[in-house]
Amino acid sequence: MRRETAFKVMSAAALACIAAWTAMIAGWIPAFAAMAVFIVAFPVFVIFLALWWMYSQGKEDIPFIGY
Amino acid sequence: MIGYLVSATFTGLLMLGIHRKVIARIQKRPGPPIWQEILHTLKFSFKSTWVPATASRTLFIAVVLIGIGIWCAALFVVTEGGSVLILFGIYMLHKIVEHGYGLSSGSPYGKFGGVRSVISATSEIPLFVTIAAIYLFTHSLIISDIVAYQAVHGPLLLSVPPAAVAMYLVLLSKMPYGPFSIVESKELVSGYKTEHFGVWRAGLEVCNGLKTYVLLYAAVLIFIGQFPIWAMLALMLALLVSLSFVCALSPMLSPYDSVTVQTLATAFMIVYIIALVVMA
Repeated sequence: MRRETAFKVMSAAALACIAAWTAMIAGWIPAFAAMAVFIVAFPVFVIFLALWWMYSQGKEDIPFIGY
Repeated sequence: MIGYLVSATFTGLLMLGIHRKVIARIQKRPGPPIWQEILHTLKFSFKSTWVPATASRTLFIAVVLIGIGIWCAALFVVTEGGSVLILFGIYMLHKIVEHGYGLSSGSPYGKFGGVRSVISATSEIPLFVTIAAIYLFTHSLIISDIVAYQAVHGPLLLSVPPAAVAMYLVLLSKMPYGPFSIVESKELVSGYKTEHFGVWRAGLEVCNGLKTYVLLYAAVLIFIGQFPIWAMLALMLALLVSLSFVCALSPMLSPYDSVTVQTLATAFMIVYIIALVVMA
């Protein structure tokens, strides 16, 4: 995966969380709807944040090829 | 809500670090610093990441996302005073996720870890009996109702101590380095999570942090009651340290013995529930 792709997915997940939280505070959506968004978007945010910042610019290690 | 989710993750990881530290001090070792699990999570998220050639790529990645997602849901169920049944349904779902971690990698260590995860599902049986005992007293399985019941009648820990002991066993089975930690046993390298490294392991650590926080919080909430957050954290810490003592002083059981002990605990709880029903 390209670094830009990881960044875009991570940003989209973060925006979804912030938008859901804002909409809940404003009373536009019920709390359970905001929670449903968090349950889906938070794991995506965590994984793609890590994929984005670990993305190596240098030479890769030799990958494990399985048993 | 976002802040609570993130702080619960870090608090859970910190508690896992305290767990390791307490075990080490009891065993007269210096042990790692208490923030070690937080450092682990950050460290893994910077490591090279790929999917093993033998792995089922979709499942290998999806279980990490599902693992974090289900414990986010559990956190919301607990904090919003939802149903105990949903919480414990999520707990059982975690077993399936653990199984998925192990089987998706294609590694024999992971597979054995996954199989042991299914075997250790016996630890959930005391959980169901615990739910029955709680229902007999409170006539509700909604956490907010259980908390309200305790505000009037006192902690369930004093009313139904055997159920609290059964819940304690369930917590013990989820703590690392404990007598029932057969899924992460050292003869399986790291058990079901052996092949999940780099970012995937960081995600798994986030899942573990959330799981630890939610289970300790739920145990305090269901058996002692609702308090200000600092008191909840103090009670969770006390519970954690007691679990660390048990983990430090007891050897890891073999898979067969682990299942036997948990089945015996369940049998004892069933007898207790029948006695309660007969007396009622």
